[in-house]
Amino acid sequence: MELTAPRRLPRWFRWPGWRHLPRETRDTLFLIGVIGWTVIPHVAHLPLWCSALTAAVLIWRALLAVRQAALPGRWVVLLVLGAAIVLTLWSYQTLLGKAPGITMAVTLMALKTLELRARRDAFVVFFLGFFLVLTHFLYSQSLLVAAAMLVSVWGLLTALVLAHMPAGQPSLRQAGLLSARTALLGAPIMLLLFVLFPRIGPLWGVPHDGTSSTGLSLRMSMGSVAEVALDDSIALRVRFDGVAPRPQDMYFRGPVLGRFDGTEWRPLPATFATPGLTPRRAPGEVRPLGPEVRYEMTLEPLRLSLLPLLEATPRAPQVEGIQVLVQDDLQAVTDRPILQRLRFHAEAHTAYAHGPQRFNSSLFDSLALPAGFNPRTLAWARALRAESRYTNADAGTLARALLQHIRSAGFSYTLSPGEYPGPDTIDQFWLDRRAGFCEHFAAAFVVLMRALDIPARVVTGYQGTDPMPVDGYYIVRQSSAHAWAEYWQEGSGWQRADPTAAVAPERIERSRNLLPAPSLMAGALSSLSPELLARLREGWETMNNRWNQWVLGYSRGAQFDLLRNLGMQTPGWEDLVLLLVASLSGLAAFAALWAWRDRNVVDPWTRQMEKVRAALRSAGLPCAAHEAPRALALRVQARFGDAAQGLTALLLAIEAQRYGREARSRPHDALTRQFVAQARNMAQAAMSATR
Amino acid sequence: MRFRAWSQSRQPPSDTRVLTQRNVYILPTRAGLMFAVTLAVLLVASLNYQLNLGYVLTFLLAGSGIVSLHITHSTLRGLTLHLRPVAPVFAGDAALLECVLTSPDRDRFGIGLNVISGDSRNLSWANVSRGGQSQTTVSFVPEERGLHPLPAIRVETRFPFGLFCAWTFWRPASHLLAYPRPEPNPPALPVARPVPGGGLEQRATATGETEGVRTYQRGDALKLVLWKKAAKTLESGGELVSRDTRVAVHRQLQLDWALCPGLADEQRLQRLTAWVLAAERSAADYALELPGVSIASARGEPHRRRCLEALALWK
Repeated sequence: MELTAPRRLPRWFRWPGWRHLPRETRDTLFLIGVIGWTVIPHVAHLPLWCSALTAAVLIWRALLAVRQAALPGRWVVLLVLGAAIVLTLWSYQTLLGKAPGITMAVTLMALKTLELRARRDAFVVFFLGFFLVLTHFLYSQSLLVAAAMLVSVWGLLTALVLAHMPAGQPSLRQAGLLSARTALLGAPIMLLLFVLFPRIGPLWGVPHDGTSSTGLSLRMSMGSVAEVALDDSIALRVRFDGVAPRPQDMYFRGPVLGRFDGTEWRPLPATFATPGLTPRRAPGEVRPLGPEVRYEMTLEPLRLSLLPLLEATPRAPQVEGIQVLVQDDLQAVTDRPILQRLRFHAEAHTAYAHGPQRFNSSLFDSLALPAGFNPRTLAWARALRAESRYTNADAGTLARALLQHIRSAGFSYTLSPGEYPGPDTIDQFWLDRRAGFCEHFAAAFVVLMRALDIPARVVTGYQGTDPMPVDGYYIVRQSSAHAWAEYWQEGSGWQRADPTAAVAPERIERSRNLLPAPSLMAGALSSLSPELLARLREGWETMNNRWNQWVLGYSRGAQFDLLRNLGMQTPGWEDLVLLLVASLSGLAAFAALWAWRDRNVVDPWTRQMEKVRAALRSAGLPCAAHEAPRALALRVQARFGDAAQGLTALLLAIEAQRYGREARSRPHDALTRQFVAQARNMAQAAMSATR
Repeated sequence: MRFRAWSQSRQPPSDTRVLTQRNVYILPTRAGLMFAVTLAVLLVASLNYQLNLGYVLTFLLAGSGIVSLHITHSTLRGLTLHLRPVAPVFAGDAALLECVLTSPDRDRFGIGLNVISGDSRNLSWANVSRGGQSQTTVSFVPEERGLHPLPAIRVETRFPFGLFCAWTFWRPASHLLAYPRPEPNPPALPVARPVPGGGLEQRATATGETEGVRTYQRGDALKLVLWKKAAKTLESGGELVSRDTRVAVHRQLQLDWALCPGLADEQRLQRLTAWVLAAERSAADYALELPGVSIASARGEPHRRRCLEALALWK
């Protein structure tokens, strides 16, 4: 069988087998493996040269370890480092910031393995490793990343343990168990710190790079929402106290776009004089027409300065650290962009009216149309107005007429309508191609209403949720991003009109968007058992949701809630610190007590003999530590004669217990007590006799 | 240094020492301080980017670090150190101190021992398994002859993470006897005087009167082989035979202080030491004569030890 082994391996590469590796080689390979595991998730964010360089250096180092060859000289390392700096500058034009920083950290980590000479070098690798683990969280804090990084930390700690077991050939398993045990013992401290460490805001401003993430936007031009609609990631989760609203009532209001320049929709002029909160507009007012719906929302980082609240939420929710204002267009704007996950409570009325009941100057903005654009659409609108039944019709009648036209004139709903080349995009959509998705319909509807002299505006946001709640939470995905329209009706205010519902009612009522193309794996699974896939997905999302709620969503508010539950009336961060210090002191005292107990643990046999000797001494028979029970028995016999028969018998019994056939693991305490009592009696008898 | 003196003065020297809370010290190492700085950086990053997982990582590492403090300390706490009897050595040679570590209750790893003398940082490492013993050897080089108290032994560990170093000083009560350093190239032994009436000695190589015949042994000179007789015995299936000789010579050496004139005391002792070793090798009886000490002529290991001890402890 051995003959089949490949013989023609080059001389420098001969694998001796994992178990036969010299200790140092094995430890080095293990460390390189851990480093590789830690770096690999970064490959997507790293420039290609950095990934290639890191892989090359790690493989080189591994080969050196297997061959037990000498490490390269310092100048080689310095040269590569210099090249890496130049390449980083070339890639990013700077060395500062997140992405260049991570690139440099990865490179340094790989290069440091080339000079693992002293213990100090090893520590540099470990600490850089912990730092790299943290950098992953800048990109994602998902459950998967957390699990992968837990493995990394475990690996690093194991390597650290291995480095401090210089004697013998400890197995990886042994070192792994030791490090896991240490980390597990440290878990209570971690938990305590995590729960009680005061969550203060950022110490200084953190530069954010302009990497765009899909989601709502303050601009809408044809095609932009399509990208969003294909993103299946979660935008927000909402949980209702009591009955959830109907799917077709679940509109989450995002940016309200009232200004149209012919190609792009934007919000009406800024409503906040930055940076403070000095609203130029009146706060929004809502006239409820139905019952109140209370809900809790967990919002993923939106990167916009607004909260997509359920329509219509009249009162701004209390969000820690952020000021929220509900404007007169019912947008809930915040004083800074939402860059972290938020959780808050709010109340909404899904049946409501809002906006001025009489025409006023604020509505002029919602009538404006750019001059020279879409002439055929404007002409179409004039023709409609000229029809006798619409000459004096109110806004609602006209809106219904437009929706009826959409239903009957062969419009189709598609996520890939193709490009609409400018400038008269509405003309092409409304009169020629008649295919598009929500934003085309909403934009065309608003332009037509304005052409009919009715104030109207585009509203973007999310519409609908996943059909079944997971763990009580309804999930709203980025693919639920939607655009609809609002027009103003004399006497009742702003009215919602969703032209998409006219052409694709199932988009609104089933409230489940077009699914993205399933991945290969999911495709195979779903063809085998669609139910299993759904169940797996649901289970995963439940777990993910709990993770988000309990770990990632744990914030200052949750801390204060905890303190309130502990009975504090007005908790502050000082209370957190006090509680933290108190519990840590408690833990420390517990540990000290343990160590103290440890000190007093004496072999029970030794303790028994100490008692025996003390009793004999007090009876007047000095005895030394080395004397065994039998020797003592002989001396007792010689000294006290027959009077001490009981004592000698007991001593022999003690000997039999310890060394005899019985060979107990612990002494019999009753025997010891009996001996001590007898010895005391004898001492007293002797005393009274001498008196 | 002052700390070491103080800590050593706290306990009497003893060949067996149980390490307890009272005599194990612990401080963070340089790596431990570096670790603290790393934790601070991680914490600031978590704060600034509001990373809850960053907090989890930071606090997990902090918790493990604190636990490692405990583990480091308990690696030494409860350990029993015992020193085996130390064999005498020549001055300038390394004396091996065999230390036995006993752990009654748990597995212990990465315990390093070294002798505090000069600035030797070479630790000899040992692991002790639960309920077991392990032996490790540290060496110590006595520069002078005489009876030396053993130097203090430093026992340290950085297990598991190297963030803390726990250590203790142990002063064994035993003494080390160092014989004088033998003179490297001593002059030839003084001439031995044959002594009448000495015991007989059997020698294979010396020539002398034939006393008898015996079977050939490897190493017998060819001229000692009785070829005629051997031919006969070989024919009858036997072996070669050779002459057996006895030397009725008894030589006695007198290793006398007075035989090395013009030397300093220590050099005389060194020469006498070298002579004692050479005389023992040459299988002659020898007597040792020092001012105030006189050891009668004899031979063999006990005699050699007596002579060397006398040389080591002279004056």
